[in-house]
Amino acid sequence: MARSTTKDAQALFNTLRSSYAATPTNLKIIDLYVIFAIFTALIQDQGIGGLYGNSWIFPIQLFSIGVLSCVGTAVLAVCLRIQVNKENKEFKDLSPERAFADFVLCNLVLHLVIMNFLG
Amino acid sequence: MRMGFKKTLTMAKLSLSLFYFTVFSLLLSLSTSFDPENPSVRRILVIFDDASLKSSHSIFFNSLQSRGYNLDFKLSDDRNIALQRYGRYLYDSLILFSPSADSIGDGSLKLKDVMDFVDSGHDLILAANANASDFVRNVASECGADFEDDTAAVVIDHTSYSVSEIDGDHSLIASDTFIKSDVIFGRENIEAPVLFRGIGHSVNAASSLVLKVLSASPAAYSANPNSKLSKPPVLTGTSISLVSVVQARNNARVLISGSLDMFSDRFFRSSVEKAGSTYKYKKSGNEQFLMELSKWILHERGHLKAVNIRHHRLGETNEPSIYRINDDLEFSVEIYEWSGTRWEPYVADDVQVQFYMMSPYVLKTLSNDKKGLYYTSFKVPDVYGVFQFKVEYQRLGYTSLSLSKQIPVRPFKHDEYERFIPVAFPYYGGSFSTMAAFFIFSILYLYHK
Repeated sequence: MARSTTKDAQALFNTLRSSYAATPTNLKIIDLYVIFAIFTALIQDQGIGGLYGNSWIFPIQLFSIGVLSCVGTAVLAVCLRIQVNKENKEFKDLSPERAFADFVLCNLVLHLVIMNFLG
Repeated sequence: MRMGFKKTLTMAKLSLSLFYFTVFSLLLSLSTSFDPENPSVRRILVIFDDASLKSSHSIFFNSLQSRGYNLDFKLSDDRNIALQRYGRYLYDSLILFSPSADSIGDGSLKLKDVMDFVDSGHDLILAANANASDFVRNVASECGADFEDDTAAVVIDHTSYSVSEIDGDHSLIASDTFIKSDVIFGRENIEAPVLFRGIGHSVNAASSLVLKVLSASPAAYSANPNSKLSKPPVLTGTSISLVSVVQARNNARVLISGSLDMFSDRFFRSSVEKAGSTYKYKKSGNEQFLMELSKWILHERGHLKAVNIRHHRLGETNEPSIYRINDDLEFSVEIYEWSGTRWEPYVADDVQVQFYMMSPYVLKTLSNDKKGLYYTSFKVPDVYGVFQFKVEYQRLGYTSLSLSKQIPVRPFKHDEYERFIPVAFPYYGGSFSTMAAFFIFSILYLYHK
């Protein structure tokens, strides 16, 4: 039973990897970008417990801005990925150039807000 | 021309001298009128019920007069006794040497009048005797000292009586158990025992303002010397107070003595030898004891005033109307003691200031420069609200100082915080790295393949 479970998981993982290999490069780049953003957010989360403990002088505003910038980046990248995915028929009327322009504009707004909050 | 010039000069001189005269007379009238800054009282009403008392107690009265007091002697049956007229007090102090008079001035001076007099900040010296009247007892008990109920009882002590007297009932007591206080008795020690003949009183336990200045020895008791002691005496031992003082919350001072004789010339000049000791003092301690005590009662000593409360930020001189949390500030106050003639610097190392909002957030002992200036510096706590600088100074024998000065403390304004703080560097780093990542991602996304 246990053996077959490991085997199943391996098979599942292999299928996933092989079908992901077929993914276009531009989507792979977006995925990498999303992973980076999530990873950065997690590192900052670790800071709460590790660096400050329960200290009440913890700079909560700056922490939320740091995490929000990562989350915002990830969300916008995922939106871009949905729009430029060829297999997604929902946005077939939308050109990838238009999608990328939207993405850049949203990012500019996001980072402008974050710069304002930083100090 | 020249004549005219001379004329104007003389006129100017005349007007100048007139001006000087006016100023001088104004100053003179100011200096002779009552000065509220001067706590030593000047006019004293002495009420006595025996016409011979003026001569038999002359040393005490003369010393008061030589210290600048105006004594107004009135017999207790004088109908013209009045402490106040048109709502103003005629006297600054009252000496009640009428132990047996049941009503003063035929009822014109009541218990309430005497207590109102004390309540308005005036001083009182009260002496009783055996057979003290209800009036005297009531005044004393209003002040927190309860005289022995038995009218025939006197304080008797078979161990520390004075042997120089021939009478054998041991009711002439030689006591030297004084309260230890430099401010009440002055710096000089009282060597000789104090002679006392009269009734004892107990200090009301509920009153924290009464102090026993002269208490009886542990072997003393209060009873009628002429009758056999059938039941244990109510007042015994050191709980018997012979002389007590009260300093009221308004700094009025009251002296309560169970003996009128102790003020007399005979006791002042009498030699004293305490039973059991071989040394015979040429002169009793009464004069020194009562002189020093009367100086304290009449505010020649131990009267403090605090002026010039100042505070400012460190390095500034102006007093701000508000402080910010974590400001460094300097606080100073000047404290002077009245010496009977002028204000002298008060020197002590136990004056403290509180920075107070519901409870003291800062409590600091003030340093002083021996010239009356007390100062310290501290940091405003990291709490905002309406604070007070408080100086609460209560010491035995000194008038109490209770000062407070209100000052608000505000938090940082939004632009007073530091712009970038080191603890937040991970979050700055996170934010900037996403921006950099966005830039790199855009290039990669646009130019791949």
